[in-house]
Amino acid sequence: MSNQQSLQSLETLLEKFLDQVVNLKEQKLSVLEGINRLDDITSMSGQGVEITDHIGEWFADHNRWLTDNSLRKSEFNRISEMLSNIKSELEKEGLASPAQKKISTEIDRWQNNPIKIDKSKPTRMTLSRPPEVSETEKTPQADTISLFIKKLSKMSSMFVDSADSKQHILSVLEELLKKTGTEANKDALILSAFIIYYLKQNGYKVDPYVKKLKEAETLFKKGALHA
Amino acid sequence: MLKAGEKAYCAALLALKRKDYLSASEYFKQAAPYFKENKEFNLYSETTKLLVAVKRELGTLEHDDKLEIEEIFTNG
Repeated sequence: MSNQQSLQSLETLLEKFLDQVVNLKEQKLSVLEGINRLDDITSMSGQGVEITDHIGEWFADHNRWLTDNSLRKSEFNRISEMLSNIKSELEKEGLASPAQKKISTEIDRWQNNPIKIDKSKPTRMTLSRPPEVSETEKTPQADTISLFIKKLSKMSSMFVDSADSKQHILSVLEELLKKTGTEANKDALILSAFIIYYLKQNGYKVDPYVKKLKEAETLFKKGALHA
Repeated sequence: MLKAGEKAYCAALLALKRKDYLSASEYFKQAAPYFKENKEFNLYSETTKLLVAVKRELGTLEHDDKLEIEEIFTNG
């Protein structure tokens, strides 16, 4: 594979990853975009710029947030704070036009929203204890992204260590597959699978390595059981 | 009001949505001082930076098919 092909392959991979990030955050991005736009309108309002049309459009685009539960309380509170600032600025001008009066009414509607009414209710907290499980049975629920980043970093170091003094990635793969079975090393197993998939995507014939991976996985399972 | 870092992070993610990676990288740079401890932020920021570098390199290769690899030794 030429350098250009390698770079193109890396480019595709990185673009795919970032696309998935955007897809994953689609809902949050939409909220962020709305808050950011309202923040711009608030700044404009503070600078004495006529904002009636802008805020009218903002309400038209985001009124559904009042009913579709897409906002967290913290986000709603930030919006509410910005709307208060806008209302103060409008009131300074004496709510001269019908459009300004309508916006003021709309802001009141947002601020009297059930999300905020809920805030005034005393919060009841119930503490419940989950059933006890042993350390080995516990599944890590928290911060899966951090855990995955940590794992990637560990596997990256493992790859660099194994690649030391070797001439080809297949030699590294051989060593990792061996390590999977002999040391019951789960990271080596995952990394081997990753390398095989990478090689497959780059036109290598990987069937013998898939077979070796399965054998290594069987050995790993046995080793993990006896560990 | 949103803080400058929050606005920049938001703008970076919106630029990613538009596939405007160069702008996204610039916005990530502006937001970096506020999010340097945030692993998720660092992952997105570094990935975007790498992608921009790859695209730049590919742009160079379109004119010159050779890829020059420069090795830097810090201690001689």
